[in-house]
Amino acid sequence: MSDEIATLIAELEESKTLEAIRKSLREGEDPVVLIESLRKGMETVGERFEKKEYFLSELIMSAEIFKQGVALIEPHLKTTEEKPSKTVVIGTVKGDIHDIGKNIVATMLRCVGFNVSDLGVDVDPRAFAEEARKAGECIVALSGLLTVAFDSMKETVSAIEEAGLREKVKIMIGGGAVNEKVLEYSKADAYGRNAMDAVRIARDLL
Amino acid sequence: MKIEKKIHPKDTMSSEERIQAAVNLQTPDRVPVAPLFYYFVANYNNMSFAELYDPVKYFNGLSCVFDELGPWDAHYFVNAYDKELIAFVIPMKLLEPGEELPENTMRQFLEAEIMTPDDYEWIIEEASKIRSLAYARLVIERLIPRIWPDAVPRGWKAYKAMIPLITRNTLLLKREIERWRKRGVTPLHQFAFEAAFDTFSLARGLIEFSKDLSRYPDKVIKASDALTESYAFLIKATCRILKVKRAEIFVHRSSNDFISPRQFMKFSLPSLKTLVEKLAQDGISSILHCDGNWDLNLELMREFPAGRVVMQCDGTSDIFKAKEIIGDRVCIYGDVPANLLALGSPAQVDEYCHRLIEQVGKGGGFILGSGCELAPNAKPENVKVMMQSVVKYGYYTQSKE
Repeated sequence: MSDEIATLIAELEESKTLEAIRKSLREGEDPVVLIESLRKGMETVGERFEKKEYFLSELIMSAEIFKQGVALIEPHLKTTEEKPSKTVVIGTVKGDIHDIGKNIVATMLRCVGFNVSDLGVDVDPRAFAEEARKAGECIVALSGLLTVAFDSMKETVSAIEEAGLREKVKIMIGGGAVNEKVLEYSKADAYGRNAMDAVRIARDLL
Repeated sequence: MKIEKKIHPKDTMSSEERIQAAVNLQTPDRVPVAPLFYYFVANYNNMSFAELYDPVKYFNGLSCVFDELGPWDAHYFVNAYDKELIAFVIPMKLLEPGEELPENTMRQFLEAEIMTPDDYEWIIEEASKIRSLAYARLVIERLIPRIWPDAVPRGWKAYKAMIPLITRNTLLLKREIERWRKRGVTPLHQFAFEAAFDTFSLARGLIEFSKDLSRYPDKVIKASDALTESYAFLIKATCRILKVKRAEIFVHRSSNDFISPRQFMKFSLPSLKTLVEKLAQDGISSILHCDGNWDLNLELMREFPAGRVVMQCDGTSDIFKAKEIIGDRVCIYGDVPANLLALGSPAQVDEYCHRLIEQVGKGGGFILGSGCELAPNAKPENVKVMMQSVVKYGYYTQSKE
C-alpha cells in the first residue's frame, strides 16, 4: 500500500491518494511509513520536474496533496525524539513583497525534510542575520522578483557578514530576474531558477 | 493621422511602416526599437512613482527620456491612468506607491483569490447570453469590485463607476498617441488585455488555479472558450478607436515557468488561437506578451497564422531558439534583459543588442525591445546604447542583404 501511495501522489491523484491513506490508517499501517511514502512520491515528482515532465502547476498540486495527506496522518503519529533537521531561513528581501515563489520553495524544502524558518516578505537584512544567528549552521535563502531586490540581496549578504556569521551560513538567492550576474553582484553562494533548483542547492550547500 | 516624420536621418520608412513590416515578417529599412517604459521615466526625471498616474507628468517625463536617450519607433504604453483599469491586464489586488507602499516603491501585486470556482460557471452560463460582452462583464461586474470594494460596487452598479474611468483613459490615450505620432512615433498597440486562461490564473491566484487545472479542467476550458468572442469584440473596438492594427495580449501565466507544454496545448492555446485568428480576419496582428520561459511552447506556436503574431520575449525564453523555430511564422520582439540594463556595462549591452540584431533580426521579422518593462533602475547610458544599436547595426540595406 505504501508504494501505491507514493505512486498515486506522484501521479497527482488527489482523491485516490487521500483515500489510500485513510484506508491504510484504518488497517493499522504505521503512520511513519505512510509519511515516508508521501515523501518518496514527492521525490518522484521532483525527478519529473527536473526532467521537464512536470512543471510548476504540477509541483503545486503535489504539494497540496502532500499537505492534505500529512494532515490525515499527523493525528496518528506518536511524539518521538526526532533528530533535528537542517534549517533554511527563508524570506523575500526588503522592498519586495512577492511571496509566491518563496512559499513554493519553502514548501518543497519542507517536503524533503528541511526545517524551514519563513520570515515572510519585505524582510530587513538585519532580521535575516538575527534569525541565522539563532539557527546556527544554516542556509539563508533570499527571494526577490523585482530588480530592486538585487540591492537588498547584496545588503543582506553584507549584514550576515557584519554579524560575523558568514563562515557558518550559506546563502542562496532566487526569483524572477536572478542570474549569474546577480549572484556575482550580491556575493551570495548560489542561485536557483526554480523550486527544485532550491532543493538541490540546499542539499549541496549543507 | 499618417506618420510622415522619419526618426533617424538614414531611415527610408516611417516608424509605422517599419513596425508593421517587421510584424508582417518582411524586411524593413532597419530594425525597429520599441522598449516599454514606465518606472524608469520616474527614476530618470526624479519623479515619484505615484506621479506616473498624472498623464501630463508621464508624457513630459517620457518626452525627456525620448529627447535625451531616444528616439524609438513605437509608443509602448501602460494603459491605465486610473488604477481600477489595471484589472484588464492584471486582475489582482495591488499595493500602490504613495498609498500602501512608500512613494518610490514599485506597485506590487498580491496573490489573492479574486475569482472563485463559481465564476467559471457564471462565465459559461452568462457568457452564452451576450457573448460579445462576457469578458467586460466578468472584469467590470465581478473582478474590479472585488479588488476595489470601496470604490466600485458589485454587479450592474459597477458600470456607473467604471464607464467614466474607461472614457477618461481612452481619451487620454487617444491624445497621447496623437502627440507621439506627431513626433514620428507610432503606437505599438491598442488598449491591452490579459488573455482568458491567464486572467483566470491571476485572478484565482497561482496556487488555487494550479489545483483548478487538476480538479475542474473542463470548466477552465469551457470558460476560456466562452470569453473568446468578447475579447475579439473589445480588441476590435479599441483598435478602431485608437486607429491601430495591432493588439497587445498579455499571457503572463502561459509560460513553462507555470504550466507544461501539454497544459499550454490543452488549456491556454485553443482559445488564444481562436482569438488570434478572429483578429487576423480583421487585419489585426496580435502581440503576445510572453513573459517567462516559453522554450517548450515554441513548436506549438507554429499553429498561429503566419505573419499575424508577434512573440514578445522578456529575456527568459531563448530568443535565438525562438527565431530558429518560429521565425518564419512569428515576428520576434525583445529582449534586452532587466538585469543586463541594470547591472551590465554599456559595452555588454552593445554586444547583446548587436547579437540580437544580427541573429534574430536576420531577414526581418524582428523588433528590438526591453525584456518586458525596461528595468526601473536601468543605467541611462545602457538605455542610450540600446537605442543607438539599431542605427549602428540595424540598417538592412547596409549590412544585412
